[in-house]
Amino acid sequence: MILGENILLALQSLRANPLRSFLTLVGIAVGIGAVLYVVVLGQITEKRIKQRLESLGSNVLLIRPGYSRMRGVRTGESVVNLKWSDAREIVSTSEVIAETVPTYTAPGVAQYKDQSWNTRITGTVPAYEAVNNDRPIEGHFFTQEETNQRARVCVLGATVHEKLFGNASPIGEPLTIKSKRYTVVGLLGAKGESWWNPDDQIFIPLTTAQERLFGVDHLSTILAQMRSSRDYDEALFDIETILRRNHRLQADQDNDFRVRRQDLYLATVQETTKEIANFVILIALVSLMVGGIGIANVMLVSVTERIREIGVRRAIGAKKIHVLLQFLIEAMVLGLLGGVLGLAAGLVFIRVMTGEALILPWNWIGYSFAICAGIGVAAGLYPALRAANRNVIEALRYE
Amino acid sequence: MLIEMQQVEKVYRLGKIDVPALCGIDLQIEANEYVAVMGPSGSGKSTLMNIVGCLDSPTAGRYLLDGENVSHLSDNQLSEIRSRKIGFVFQTFNLMPRATALRNVELPLIYAGVPSGRRRQLAVQALEKVGLSDRIKHKPSELSGGQRQRVAIARALVTEPALILADEPTGNLDSTTGQEIMEILSALHRAGNTVILVTHEKELAAQTGRTIGLRDGRIETQEEAAQSAAAEQAGSIGLTPR
Ligand SMILES: Nc1ncnc2c1ncn2[C@@H]1O[C@H](COP(=O)(O)OP(=O)(O)O)[C@@H](O)[C@H]1O
Ligand SMILES: [Mg+2]
Repeated sequence: MILGENILLALQSLRANPLRSFLTLVGIAVGIGAVLYVVVLGQITEKRIKQRLESLGSNVLLIRPGYSRMRGVRTGESVVNLKWSDAREIVSTSEVIAETVPTYTAPGVAQYKDQSWNTRITGTVPAYEAVNNDRPIEGHFFTQEETNQRARVCVLGATVHEKLFGNASPIGEPLTIKSKRYTVVGLLGAKGESWWNPDDQIFIPLTTAQERLFGVDHLSTILAQMRSSRDYDEALFDIETILRRNHRLQADQDNDFRVRRQDLYLATVQETTKEIANFVILIALVSLMVGGIGIANVMLVSVTERIREIGVRRAIGAKKIHVLLQFLIEAMVLGLLGGVLGLAAGLVFIRVMTGEALILPWNWIGYSFAICAGIGVAAGLYPALRAANRNVIEALRYE
Repeated sequence: MLIEMQQVEKVYRLGKIDVPALCGIDLQIEANEYVAVMGPSGSGKSTLMNIVGCLDSPTAGRYLLDGENVSHLSDNQLSEIRSRKIGFVFQTFNLMPRATALRNVELPLIYAGVPSGRRRQLAVQALEKVGLSDRIKHKPSELSGGQRQRVAIARALVTEPALILADEPTGNLDSTTGQEIMEILSALHRAGNTVILVTHEKELAAQTGRTIGLRDGRIETQEEAAQSAAAEQAGSIGLTPR
């Protein structure tokens, strides 16, 4: 019945000490803001990973060179043993592999007029487009013919496009890589940054990359697309058999390559993101606890300052429960204001940091308010009980 | 009989020493009486008022308020009685400093559970009775001492209590302003209210119907005032009788 009155009273008393109230709110606000930030960031990462998974499909295997070892100790250097012939043999021999995509990636600088951009150059084959479901939004992916001719053509990732061309169309424009001119034939859509930025990349024919640009004959990766994700075990067996034979490995030697299922790998990334999130949430909880202690402290001061007021209220008819509620609600309002402040700060921060159109995590905002109210009540309980249980006559005589 | 006390005692315990503040008080006060309580400092005036006003319970004896035995009630029940039957006026006014006169006067009605529309109406009426209808939006800091005490009186009478208790209400006011407050209390009495006034000053006590003299926690004297008969002509200034 007197809830509204008490909220009004609480706001009045908070307004009477604006600085003190604000400082008390900060602890709660930091905690809530941090939780919100982590939750939203987790959601954004998850969304992007899901998009990648959808475009990649769960039936793509990633083959990479193994690490070189010196007497069983990893020396970190990648072995240069993965060859185009491996990729060809896997797709022609194994019945469960539908397609293989060899790639070679190395850093490089691209120039357009007076702009230059440090990026990664990936040589690959036209099948890359279909296997990765990565279609140009302008122009086309390079063709088999261009690959055969070792043509100097390239397809730009969205970030490279933005850095070199801004909003202008790049199709048909000349790009300079290692002082040779490449013609832009295609532009890929933005996939969004997650743990790395797949948009910061230039694609050229693998022949051009290996023979004309970098002068190498090995690969960075082979993508192997299975006919069905159910064929995983068989596909793995085929790849191992073919590569071990091609690389002439003895029975007692370890594989000099690694095979990874993309979807499982992404799941690991997701797992890691969750772990980081949990850690930040732990820190946020500590901050919330500190905030709670701050509220309790301010409420104790507030009660002491108002002992006389408590006596007067009791004398004119307030019951203990009225006084208890008055201070509990004041503490709760403090907590909730902290929450509102934290949510606002968190949302602004996310906006600035990610530039994402926000999907507001309403359930989390709901939890936040519940948590803040809970902290307020818990922190205010002892001070409120002290206020309610004061002897009326002594309170009235208190100077 | 509004107030009936039989052998009421109050002993404060300070560590191991017992301090007797009231010893065997027998007291009767009729409805619509105007009574002054006098006595030297420490004689037990405030202690008596606290018990009469149900802020405290006697350690021994019986106290009937409006026919109801209130000697051994719980804290909650005492609050209830204060809310319904008692109006306090304090020496130091004790208004809520951040609330307007109107909100201050509304406060007892909030605890009595009166709905807000009615609350406002009653508070405005009470402020009219003490002649402050043009100051209802003022805060205590924007009012003079006398005006503050009038707000406090409005707060005490807004619930239409059976009993108005004023513990040295003029103690913090100059004599002219004090006399204004005394006139308001007299008017309340004439309008049918029961008023008990604690005071140090003989002239103020003389304006009431009966003076009770306290000394060392006992009633020493009780004097009927001559002019008390005049109080019978009630209602002359438009105050509603209970
Ligand atoms: N809360 C208390 N604890 C202990 N002694 C008290 C308390 N309140 C009053 N007393 C004592 O009781 C006696 C009467 O006090 P009080 O009623 O305040 O007198 P008065 O109002 O007439 O000055 C005094 O001796 C005083 O010291
Ligand atoms: Mg006193």
